[in-house]
Amino acid sequence: MVLIAPENGLVKESMITAYILTILKPGSADKAIQEMRKIDHVEKISVVAGEYDIVVRVQVDNLEELLDVTNRIQMIDGVEKTTTQIIEKEIAL
Amino acid sequence: MIIRKKYLFYVLALSSAVANAFASGVDAVVSSLFIHDPWAFGVACFLVGVIIALIFSIILSIRFKDKSLGSKAIDPSFNHLRFIRREEIKYQLLSAFGNAILTIGYYILLSILADPSVVIPFTQMVILYLVLMESITEKDMPTLVEVQSALIVTFGAILGSISFSGDINLLSLAIVFLVINPGWMISSIYQRKLKLLKINGKPNDSLNIRFWNVLFAFLITSGIVLIYDISSGANHLLNGIIYAFRFFNWISIMGIGTFFSLVLYIRALGIGKASVTQAVKSTAIIFSIPVSIILAYLNIIPSFSTDPTMVAIRGIGIILMILGIASYALTLVKAYIFIEMKPGYPILDIMRKLWDIRGVTRVAAVAGKYDFIIKIRTRTLVKGYEKIIRKLNEIEGIKKYKWESVLREWEKL
Repeated sequence: MVLIAPENGLVKESMITAYILTILKPGSADKAIQEMRKIDHVEKISVVAGEYDIVVRVQVDNLEELLDVTNRIQMIDGVEKTTTQIIEKEIAL
Repeated sequence: MIIRKKYLFYVLALSSAVANAFASGVDAVVSSLFIHDPWAFGVACFLVGVIIALIFSIILSIRFKDKSLGSKAIDPSFNHLRFIRREEIKYQLLSAFGNAILTIGYYILLSILADPSVVIPFTQMVILYLVLMESITEKDMPTLVEVQSALIVTFGAILGSISFSGDINLLSLAIVFLVINPGWMISSIYQRKLKLLKINGKPNDSLNIRFWNVLFAFLITSGIVLIYDISSGANHLLNGIIYAFRFFNWISIMGIGTFFSLVLYIRALGIGKASVTQAVKSTAIIFSIPVSIILAYLNIIPSFSTDPTMVAIRGIGIILMILGIASYALTLVKAYIFIEMKPGYPILDIMRKLWDIRGVTRVAAVAGKYDFIIKIRTRTLVKGYEKIIRKLNEIEGIKKYKWESVLREWEKL
Protein backbone atom coordinates (compact mmCIF):
# COMPACT_ATOMS: atom_id res chain seq x y z
CA MET A 1 0.00 0.00 0.00
CA VAL A 2 1.44 3.32 -1.01
CA LEU A 3 0.13 6.41 0.67
CA ILE A 4 0.85 9.64 -1.07
CA ALA A 5 -0.10 12.68 0.89
CA PRO A 6 -0.33 15.80 -1.27
CA GLU A 7 2.63 17.39 0.48
CA ASN A 8 5.14 14.68 -0.30
CA GLY A 9 5.34 14.24 -3.96
CA LEU A 10 2.21 13.80 -6.01
CA VAL A 11 1.41 17.46 -5.87
CA LYS A 12 3.93 20.18 -5.16
CA GLU A 13 3.13 22.10 -2.04
CA SER A 14 2.27 25.27 -3.84
CA MET A 15 0.07 23.52 -6.36
CA ILE A 16 -3.69 23.51 -6.35
CA THR A 17 -5.58 20.48 -7.54
CA ALA A 18 -9.30 20.66 -8.14
CA TYR A 19 -12.18 18.79 -9.62
CA ILE A 20 -14.45 20.70 -11.94
CA LEU A 21 -17.81 18.96 -12.25
CA THR A 22 -19.62 19.92 -15.41
CA ILE A 23 -23.13 19.52 -16.74
CA LEU A 24 -23.55 19.63 -20.50
CA LYS A 25 -26.38 20.16 -22.92
CA PRO A 26 -27.52 16.84 -24.36
CA GLY A 27 -25.53 15.76 -27.40
CA SER A 28 -22.55 18.03 -26.91
CA ALA A 29 -20.25 15.64 -25.02
CA ASP A 30 -17.87 14.61 -27.81
CA LYS A 31 -17.18 18.15 -28.96
CA ALA A 32 -16.76 19.41 -25.40
CA ILE A 33 -14.23 16.66 -24.64
CA GLN A 34 -12.20 17.56 -27.73
CA GLU A 35 -12.08 21.17 -26.50
CA MET A 36 -11.19 20.21 -22.92
CA ARG A 37 -8.29 18.05 -24.09
CA LYS A 38 -6.69 21.18 -25.53
CA ILE A 39 -6.69 23.08 -22.24
CA ASP A 40 -3.41 23.27 -20.32
CA HIS A 41 -3.37 22.11 -16.69
CA VAL A 42 -6.09 19.53 -17.33
CA GLU A 43 -4.92 16.26 -15.77
CA LYS A 44 -7.82 13.96 -16.34
CA ILE A 45 -11.18 13.98 -18.07
CA SER A 46 -13.78 11.44 -16.99
CA VAL A 47 -17.11 11.03 -18.71
CA VAL A 48 -19.55 9.94 -16.02
CA ALA A 49 -23.14 8.77 -15.79
CA GLY A 50 -25.14 10.45 -13.06
CA GLU A 51 -26.00 13.99 -12.08
CA TYR A 52 -22.91 15.35 -13.84
CA ASP A 53 -21.64 14.62 -17.31
CA ILE A 54 -17.91 15.24 -17.17
CA VAL A 55 -15.51 15.39 -14.23
CA VAL A 56 -12.30 17.28 -15.02
CA ARG A 57 -9.29 17.12 -12.74
CA VAL A 58 -6.98 20.11 -13.03
CA GLN A 59 -3.64 21.03 -11.49
CA VAL A 60 -2.65 24.68 -11.36
CA ASP A 61 -0.06 26.84 -9.62
CA ASN A 62 -2.42 29.41 -8.13
CA LEU A 63 -6.03 30.51 -7.91
CA GLU A 64 -5.62 32.88 -10.82
CA GLU A 65 -4.80 29.96 -13.10
CA LEU A 66 -7.71 27.99 -11.67
CA LEU A 67 -10.03 30.83 -12.59
CA ASP A 68 -8.55 30.84 -16.06
CA VAL A 69 -9.12 27.11 -16.52
CA THR A 70 -12.67 27.22 -15.13
CA ASN A 71 -13.35 30.14 -17.40
CA ARG A 72 -12.09 28.30 -20.46
CA ILE A 73 -14.23 25.28 -19.58
CA GLN A 74 -17.29 27.46 -19.14
CA MET A 75 -16.66 29.07 -22.51
CA ILE A 76 -16.88 25.71 -24.28
CA ASP A 77 -20.00 25.39 -26.36
CA GLY A 78 -22.45 23.02 -24.68
CA VAL A 79 -21.21 23.45 -21.09
CA GLU A 80 -24.23 24.43 -19.06
CA LYS A 81 -22.95 24.53 -15.50
CA THR A 82 -19.73 23.91 -13.61
CA THR A 83 -18.99 23.33 -9.93
CA THR A 84 -15.39 23.61 -8.74
CA GLN A 85 -14.18 21.51 -5.83
CA ILE A 86 -10.71 22.39 -4.56
CA ILE A 87 -8.82 19.49 -2.98
CA GLU A 88 -7.57 20.23 0.52
CA LYS A 89 -6.07 16.86 1.34
CA GLU A 90 -5.76 13.65 -0.58
CA ILE A 91 -4.83 10.00 -0.14
CA ALA A 92 -4.24 7.93 -3.26
CA LEU A 93 -2.88 4.54 -4.26
CA MET B 1 -0.86 14.95 -24.49
CA ILE B 2 -4.08 13.61 -23.05
CA ILE B 3 -4.98 10.07 -24.08
CA ARG B 4 -7.06 7.12 -22.94
CA LYS B 5 -5.12 5.50 -20.13
CA LYS B 6 -6.50 2.05 -20.78
CA TYR B 7 -5.24 2.04 -24.37
CA LEU B 8 -1.80 3.20 -23.31
CA PHE B 9 -1.48 0.35 -20.84
CA TYR B 10 -2.31 -2.32 -23.41
CA VAL B 11 -0.16 -0.71 -26.09
CA LEU B 12 2.82 -0.66 -23.71
CA ALA B 13 2.36 -4.22 -22.44
CA LEU B 14 1.78 -5.63 -25.92
CA SER B 15 4.79 -3.79 -27.41
CA SER B 16 6.82 -5.19 -24.56
CA ALA B 17 5.60 -8.67 -25.54
CA VAL B 18 6.56 -8.12 -29.19
CA ALA B 19 10.06 -6.94 -28.23
CA ASN B 20 10.35 -9.90 -25.88
CA ALA B 21 9.36 -12.39 -28.62
CA PHE B 22 11.99 -10.84 -30.90
CA ALA B 23 14.67 -11.04 -28.21
CA SER B 24 13.93 -14.67 -27.43
CA GLY B 25 14.15 -15.47 -31.14
CA VAL B 26 17.67 -14.05 -31.25
CA ASP B 27 18.40 -15.84 -27.97
CA ALA B 28 17.50 -19.14 -29.66
CA VAL B 29 19.83 -18.35 -32.58
CA VAL B 30 22.81 -17.48 -30.38
CA SER B 31 22.40 -20.40 -28.01
CA SER B 32 22.01 -22.93 -30.78
CA LEU B 33 24.68 -21.62 -33.17
CA PHE B 34 27.38 -19.95 -31.07
CA ILE B 35 27.36 -20.36 -27.31
CA HIS B 36 26.54 -23.72 -25.81
CA ASP B 37 27.53 -23.03 -22.21
CA PRO B 38 24.38 -21.56 -20.59
CA TRP B 39 26.23 -20.07 -17.59
CA ALA B 40 28.68 -18.20 -19.77
CA PHE B 41 25.87 -17.18 -22.11
CA GLY B 42 23.97 -15.71 -19.16
CA VAL B 43 26.96 -13.70 -17.98
CA ALA B 44 27.56 -12.49 -21.55
CA CYS B 45 23.91 -11.42 -21.90
CA PHE B 46 23.98 -9.43 -18.69
CA LEU B 47 27.29 -7.77 -19.56
CA VAL B 48 26.11 -6.79 -23.03
CA GLY B 49 22.76 -5.82 -21.44
CA VAL B 50 24.52 -3.30 -19.20
CA ILE B 51 26.45 -1.84 -22.15
CA ILE B 52 23.29 -1.59 -24.30
CA ALA B 53 21.28 -0.02 -21.47
CA LEU B 54 24.07 2.52 -20.93
CA ILE B 55 24.39 3.39 -24.62
CA PHE B 56 20.63 3.77 -25.14
CA SER B 57 20.08 5.70 -21.93
CA ILE B 58 22.78 8.16 -23.02
CA ILE B 59 21.37 8.48 -26.55
CA LEU B 60 17.88 8.99 -25.15
CA SER B 61 19.22 11.65 -22.76
CA ILE B 62 20.11 13.89 -25.73
CA ARG B 63 17.93 16.96 -25.56
CA PHE B 64 16.00 18.10 -28.54
CA LYS B 65 13.86 21.24 -28.32
CA ASP B 66 13.86 21.41 -24.54
CA LYS B 67 12.95 17.75 -24.01
CA SER B 68 15.05 14.61 -24.01
CA LEU B 69 14.54 12.09 -26.81
CA GLY B 70 13.65 9.45 -24.22
CA SER B 71 10.84 11.53 -22.81
CA LYS B 72 9.38 11.95 -26.29
CA ALA B 73 9.79 8.38 -27.42
CA ILE B 74 9.65 6.11 -24.37
CA ASP B 75 8.65 7.63 -21.04
CA PRO B 76 7.54 11.24 -20.46
CA SER B 77 9.00 11.24 -16.95
CA PHE B 78 12.51 10.49 -18.28
CA ASN B 79 14.84 13.46 -18.13
CA HIS B 80 18.36 12.09 -18.41
CA LEU B 81 20.44 9.21 -17.12
CA ARG B 82 21.07 9.93 -13.46
CA PHE B 83 22.77 8.43 -10.48
CA ILE B 84 20.74 6.05 -8.33
CA ARG B 85 18.83 7.68 -5.46
CA ARG B 86 19.17 6.52 -1.90
CA GLU B 87 15.46 5.70 -1.65
CA GLU B 88 15.77 3.48 -4.73
CA ILE B 89 18.70 1.35 -3.54
CA LYS B 90 16.69 -1.04 -1.36
CA TYR B 91 14.13 -1.77 -4.06
CA GLN B 92 16.79 -2.01 -6.79
CA LEU B 93 18.76 -4.52 -4.71
CA LEU B 94 15.66 -6.64 -4.06
CA SER B 95 14.57 -6.48 -7.67
CA ALA B 96 18.07 -7.33 -8.94
CA PHE B 97 18.31 -10.12 -6.38
CA GLY B 98 15.04 -11.57 -7.72
CA ASN B 99 16.40 -11.26 -11.24
CA ALA B 100 19.66 -12.99 -10.26
CA ILE B 101 17.85 -15.90 -8.53
CA LEU B 102 15.64 -16.37 -11.55
CA THR B 103 18.64 -16.39 -13.89
CA ILE B 104 20.66 -18.80 -11.73
CA GLY B 105 17.60 -21.04 -11.39
CA TYR B 106 17.36 -21.11 -15.15
CA TYR B 107 21.06 -22.10 -15.51
CA ILE B 108 20.65 -24.91 -12.98
CA LEU B 109 17.63 -26.11 -14.91
CA LEU B 110 19.66 -26.15 -18.13
CA SER B 111 22.53 -27.96 -16.48
CA ILE B 112 20.40 -30.78 -15.01
CA LEU B 113 18.22 -31.25 -18.08
CA ALA B 114 19.47 -31.36 -21.63
CA ASP B 115 16.20 -29.90 -22.93
CA PRO B 116 13.98 -28.23 -20.34
CA SER B 117 11.31 -27.13 -22.83
CA VAL B 118 8.64 -29.17 -21.03
CA VAL B 119 9.13 -27.37 -17.73
CA ILE B 120 9.70 -23.84 -19.10
CA PRO B 121 5.98 -23.23 -19.82
CA PHE B 122 5.32 -23.58 -16.10
CA THR B 123 7.23 -20.34 -15.52
CA GLN B 124 4.01 -18.68 -16.79
CA MET B 125 2.49 -19.58 -13.41
CA VAL B 126 4.27 -16.46 -12.16
CA ILE B 127 1.03 -14.59 -12.97
CA LEU B 128 -0.68 -16.56 -10.20
CA TYR B 129 2.20 -15.86 -7.79
CA LEU B 130 1.70 -12.17 -8.49
CA VAL B 131 -2.06 -12.41 -7.90
CA LEU B 132 -1.39 -14.11 -4.57
CA MET B 133 1.26 -11.58 -3.60
CA GLU B 134 -0.96 -8.63 -4.49
CA SER B 135 -3.74 -9.97 -2.33
CA ILE B 136 -1.31 -9.63 0.58
CA THR B 137 0.51 -6.40 -0.24
CA GLU B 138 -1.85 -4.21 -2.28
CA LYS B 139 -4.91 -2.62 -0.84
CA ASP B 140 -7.45 -4.21 -3.12
CA MET B 141 -7.79 -7.97 -2.92
CA PRO B 142 -8.09 -9.75 -6.26
CA THR B 143 -11.72 -10.23 -7.16
CA LEU B 144 -13.14 -13.45 -8.53
CA VAL B 145 -12.96 -12.05 -12.07
CA GLU B 146 -9.28 -11.26 -11.65
CA VAL B 147 -8.48 -14.71 -10.31
CA GLN B 148 -10.49 -16.26 -13.14
CA SER B 149 -8.79 -14.17 -15.81
CA ALA B 150 -5.37 -14.88 -14.28
CA LEU B 151 -6.07 -18.63 -14.33
CA ILE B 152 -7.35 -18.52 -17.90
CA VAL B 153 -4.31 -16.58 -19.13
CA THR B 154 -1.90 -18.80 -17.21
CA PHE B 155 -3.39 -22.05 -18.52
CA GLY B 156 -3.54 -20.55 -21.98
CA ALA B 157 0.12 -19.56 -21.75
CA ILE B 158 1.10 -23.05 -20.60
CA LEU B 159 -0.84 -24.71 -23.42
CA GLY B 160 0.40 -22.17 -25.96
CA SER B 161 4.03 -22.89 -25.20
CA ILE B 162 3.76 -26.56 -24.28
CA SER B 163 6.27 -29.00 -25.67
CA PHE B 164 6.49 -32.76 -25.45
CA SER B 165 10.03 -33.00 -26.72
CA GLY B 166 12.07 -32.38 -23.58
CA ASP B 167 12.66 -34.05 -20.24
CA ILE B 168 10.82 -33.55 -17.01
CA ASN B 169 11.54 -34.55 -13.43
CA LEU B 170 10.54 -33.56 -9.95
CA LEU B 171 13.70 -31.57 -9.26
CA SER B 172 13.25 -29.44 -12.38
CA LEU B 173 9.65 -28.66 -11.45
CA ALA B 174 10.77 -27.75 -7.94
CA ILE B 175 13.31 -25.31 -9.40
CA VAL B 176 10.64 -23.69 -11.56
CA PHE B 177 8.13 -23.37 -8.72
CA LEU B 178 10.47 -22.58 -5.84
CA VAL B 179 13.31 -20.66 -7.47
CA ILE B 180 12.50 -19.21 -10.89
CA ASN B 181 8.91 -18.08 -10.27
CA PRO B 182 9.52 -16.52 -6.83
CA GLY B 183 12.59 -14.73 -8.26
CA TRP B 184 10.52 -13.39 -11.12
CA MET B 185 7.74 -12.32 -8.73
CA ILE B 186 10.15 -10.44 -6.46
CA SER B 187 11.73 -8.74 -9.44
CA SER B 188 8.35 -7.58 -10.86
CA ILE B 189 6.95 -6.41 -7.56
CA TYR B 190 9.96 -4.24 -6.75
CA GLN B 191 10.16 -2.88 -10.28
CA ARG B 192 6.58 -1.72 -9.81
CA LYS B 193 7.45 -0.16 -6.46
CA LEU B 194 10.35 1.65 -8.12
CA LYS B 195 8.11 2.94 -10.88
CA LEU B 196 5.61 4.26 -8.33
CA LEU B 197 8.33 6.10 -6.39
CA LYS B 198 8.43 9.85 -6.79
CA ILE B 199 11.79 11.41 -7.67
CA ASN B 200 11.85 15.17 -7.05
CA GLY B 201 8.06 15.19 -7.03
CA LYS B 202 7.89 13.58 -10.46
CA PRO B 203 7.09 9.94 -11.22
CA ASN B 204 10.15 7.72 -11.55
CA ASP B 205 11.14 6.86 -15.12
CA SER B 206 11.48 3.38 -16.57
CA LEU B 207 14.80 4.01 -18.37
CA ASN B 208 16.77 4.79 -15.23
CA ILE B 209 15.06 1.94 -13.41
CA ARG B 210 16.08 -0.49 -16.15
CA PHE B 211 19.65 0.73 -16.35
CA TRP B 212 20.33 0.41 -12.61
CA ASN B 213 18.42 -2.84 -12.50
CA VAL B 214 20.47 -4.57 -15.16
CA LEU B 215 23.69 -3.24 -13.63
CA PHE B 216 22.83 -4.57 -10.16
CA ALA B 217 21.56 -7.87 -11.56
CA PHE B 218 24.80 -8.28 -13.54
CA LEU B 219 26.92 -7.69 -10.44
CA ILE B 220 24.90 -10.07 -8.26
CA THR B 221 24.76 -12.78 -10.93
CA SER B 222 28.49 -12.52 -11.66
CA GLY B 223 29.16 -12.82 -7.94
CA ILE B 224 27.13 -16.01 -7.73
CA VAL B 225 28.73 -17.45 -10.90
CA LEU B 226 32.19 -16.59 -9.53
CA ILE B 227 31.47 -18.48 -6.31
CA TYR B 228 30.19 -21.41 -8.37
CA ASP B 229 33.32 -21.28 -10.58
CA ILE B 230 35.65 -21.29 -7.58
CA SER B 231 33.84 -24.16 -5.90
CA SER B 232 33.60 -26.28 -9.06
CA GLY B 233 36.81 -25.26 -10.79
CA ALA B 234 34.96 -24.14 -13.93
CA ASN B 235 35.55 -20.98 -15.91
CA HIS B 236 32.07 -19.71 -16.74
CA LEU B 237 32.54 -16.10 -15.70
CA LEU B 238 35.68 -15.56 -17.75
CA ASN B 239 34.20 -17.40 -20.74
CA GLY B 240 31.09 -15.28 -20.44
CA ILE B 241 33.10 -12.07 -20.65
CA ILE B 242 35.06 -13.42 -23.63
CA TYR B 243 31.83 -14.47 -25.38
CA ALA B 244 30.29 -11.06 -24.71
CA PHE B 245 32.96 -9.45 -26.89
CA ARG B 246 33.40 -12.23 -29.44
CA PHE B 247 29.66 -12.39 -30.24
CA PHE B 248 28.89 -8.79 -29.37
CA ASN B 249 26.87 -8.17 -32.55
CA TRP B 250 24.44 -11.00 -31.99
CA ILE B 251 24.08 -10.57 -28.26
CA SER B 252 23.62 -6.83 -28.62
CA ILE B 253 20.67 -7.34 -31.02
CA MET B 254 19.12 -9.50 -28.34
CA GLY B 255 20.09 -6.95 -25.69
CA ILE B 256 18.30 -4.16 -27.57
CA GLY B 257 15.13 -6.29 -27.75
CA THR B 258 15.33 -7.09 -24.05
CA PHE B 259 16.05 -3.49 -23.10
CA PHE B 260 13.02 -2.09 -24.90
CA SER B 261 10.83 -4.98 -23.78
CA LEU B 262 11.67 -4.29 -20.14
CA VAL B 263 11.53 -0.51 -20.35
CA LEU B 264 8.01 -0.73 -21.80
CA TYR B 265 7.10 -3.40 -19.25
CA ILE B 266 8.28 -1.23 -16.34
CA ARG B 267 6.32 1.70 -17.67
CA ALA B 268 3.19 -0.46 -17.96
CA LEU B 269 3.79 -1.61 -14.39
CA GLY B 270 3.38 1.99 -13.32
CA ILE B 271 -0.17 1.97 -14.71
CA GLY B 272 -1.58 -1.49 -14.04
CA LYS B 273 -1.21 -4.18 -11.43
CA ALA B 274 1.84 -6.43 -11.79
CA SER B 275 -0.31 -9.53 -12.37
CA VAL B 276 -2.30 -7.92 -15.17
CA THR B 277 0.83 -6.48 -16.79
CA GLN B 278 2.52 -9.86 -16.64
CA ALA B 279 -0.57 -11.52 -18.09
CA VAL B 280 -0.63 -9.15 -21.06
CA LYS B 281 3.12 -9.54 -21.51
CA SER B 282 2.76 -13.33 -21.65
CA THR B 283 1.24 -12.82 -25.12
CA ALA B 284 4.91 -12.89 -26.15
CA ILE B 285 4.12 -16.58 -26.66
CA ILE B 286 1.74 -15.67 -29.48
CA PHE B 287 4.20 -13.26 -31.09
CA SER B 288 7.00 -15.78 -30.84
CA ILE B 289 5.18 -18.23 -33.12
CA PRO B 290 6.04 -16.39 -36.37
CA VAL B 291 9.59 -15.92 -35.06
CA SER B 292 10.02 -19.64 -34.44
CA ILE B 293 8.49 -20.51 -37.82
CA ILE B 294 11.13 -18.32 -39.50
CA LEU B 295 13.94 -19.75 -37.38
CA ALA B 296 12.79 -23.31 -38.08
CA TYR B 297 12.64 -22.50 -41.78
CA LEU B 298 16.26 -21.32 -41.61
CA ASN B 299 17.13 -24.60 -39.85
CA ILE B 300 18.39 -22.83 -36.73
CA ILE B 301 15.98 -24.50 -34.34
CA PRO B 302 14.20 -27.86 -34.74
CA SER B 303 11.29 -27.61 -37.13
CA PHE B 304 8.00 -26.29 -35.87
CA SER B 305 5.61 -29.11 -34.93
CA THR B 306 2.74 -29.46 -37.38
CA ASP B 307 1.28 -32.45 -35.57
CA PRO B 308 -2.49 -31.70 -35.53
CA THR B 309 -2.77 -32.47 -31.80
CA MET B 310 -0.01 -30.00 -30.97
CA VAL B 311 -1.44 -27.35 -33.25
CA ALA B 312 -4.87 -27.82 -31.64
CA ILE B 313 -3.47 -27.59 -28.11
CA ARG B 314 -1.50 -24.45 -28.92
CA GLY B 315 -4.47 -22.93 -30.70
CA ILE B 316 -6.65 -23.52 -27.64
CA GLY B 317 -3.94 -22.01 -25.45
CA ILE B 318 -3.79 -18.85 -27.56
CA ILE B 319 -7.58 -18.46 -27.61
CA LEU B 320 -7.63 -18.81 -23.81
CA MET B 321 -4.94 -16.14 -23.43
CA ILE B 322 -6.79 -13.67 -25.65
CA LEU B 323 -10.06 -14.32 -23.80
CA GLY B 324 -8.42 -13.87 -20.41
CA ILE B 325 -6.83 -10.58 -21.40
CA ALA B 326 -10.04 -9.30 -22.97
CA SER B 327 -11.87 -10.03 -19.75
CA TYR B 328 -9.26 -8.06 -17.79
CA ALA B 329 -9.69 -5.17 -20.16
CA LEU B 330 -13.46 -5.15 -20.21
CA THR B 331 -14.43 -5.81 -16.60
CA LEU B 332 -12.82 -2.85 -14.87
CA VAL B 333 -15.44 -0.43 -13.56
CA LYS B 334 -14.51 2.97 -12.16
CA ALA B 335 -16.70 5.47 -10.37
CA TYR B 336 -16.66 8.69 -8.42
CA ILE B 337 -18.67 9.11 -5.25
CA PHE B 338 -19.42 12.68 -4.17
CA ILE B 339 -20.12 12.88 -0.45
CA GLU B 340 -21.84 15.57 1.59
CA MET B 341 -21.31 15.44 5.37
CA LYS B 342 -23.33 16.55 8.35
CA PRO B 343 -21.48 19.14 10.41
CA GLY B 344 -19.54 18.05 13.49
CA TYR B 345 -17.51 15.06 12.33
CA PRO B 346 -13.68 15.14 12.17
CA ILE B 347 -12.50 15.20 8.57
CA LEU B 348 -9.32 13.14 9.05
CA ASP B 349 -11.24 10.33 10.79
CA ILE B 350 -13.79 10.14 8.00
CA MET B 351 -11.01 10.22 5.41
CA ARG B 352 -9.34 7.24 7.04
CA LYS B 353 -12.63 5.33 7.20
CA LEU B 354 -13.34 6.03 3.52
CA TRP B 355 -9.82 4.99 2.59
CA ASP B 356 -10.26 1.66 4.40
CA ILE B 357 -13.14 0.63 2.14
CA ARG B 358 -11.97 -2.01 -0.30
CA GLY B 359 -11.85 -0.75 -3.87
CA VAL B 360 -11.30 2.90 -2.95
CA THR B 361 -8.26 4.17 -4.83
CA ARG B 362 -8.40 7.86 -3.98
CA VAL B 363 -9.94 9.97 -1.24
CA ALA B 364 -9.94 13.75 -1.60
CA ALA B 365 -11.26 16.13 1.01
CA VAL B 366 -12.58 19.06 -0.98
CA ALA B 367 -13.92 22.55 -0.48
CA GLY B 368 -17.08 23.33 -2.38
CA LYS B 369 -20.48 21.81 -2.66
CA TYR B 370 -19.26 18.41 -1.46
CA ASP B 371 -16.95 17.41 1.37
CA PHE B 372 -15.28 14.36 -0.11
CA ILE B 373 -14.74 13.02 -3.59
CA ILE B 374 -13.67 9.39 -3.68
CA LYS B 375 -12.63 7.26 -6.61
CA ILE B 376 -13.65 3.61 -6.81
CA ARG B 377 -12.23 0.75 -8.83
CA THR B 378 -14.10 -2.52 -8.90
CA ARG B 379 -14.33 -5.50 -11.21
CA THR B 380 -17.87 -6.66 -10.57
CA LEU B 381 -20.36 -3.85 -10.60
CA VAL B 382 -23.24 -5.36 -8.63
CA LYS B 383 -21.16 -6.94 -5.90
CA GLY B 384 -18.75 -4.05 -5.69
CA TYR B 385 -21.52 -1.50 -5.66
CA GLU B 386 -23.37 -3.28 -2.90
CA LYS B 387 -20.28 -3.77 -0.74
CA ILE B 388 -19.04 -0.23 -1.10
CA ILE B 389 -22.44 1.34 -0.53
CA ARG B 390 -23.02 -0.82 2.54
CA LYS B 391 -19.66 0.24 4.02
CA LEU B 392 -20.44 3.85 3.19
CA ASN B 393 -23.76 3.62 5.03
CA GLU B 394 -21.95 2.37 8.12
CA ILE B 395 -19.89 5.57 8.33
CA GLU B 396 -21.60 8.01 10.66
CA GLY B 397 -22.03 11.60 9.62
CA ILE B 398 -22.61 11.15 5.90
CA LYS B 399 -25.59 13.20 4.84
CA LYS B 400 -25.81 12.37 1.19
CA TYR B 401 -23.74 10.71 -1.50
CA LYS B 402 -23.90 10.50 -5.25
CA TRP B 403 -22.48 7.63 -7.27
CA GLU B 404 -21.24 8.55 -10.73
CA SER B 405 -19.98 5.67 -12.87
CA VAL B 406 -17.10 6.56 -15.15
CA LEU B 407 -17.87 5.71 -18.75
CA ARG B 408 -14.63 6.84 -20.38
CA GLU B 409 -11.50 8.52 -19.19
CA TRP B 410 -8.61 10.50 -20.65
CA GLU B 411 -5.46 11.25 -18.77
CA LYS B 412 -2.43 13.47 -19.19
CA LEU B 413 0.80 11.48 -19.29
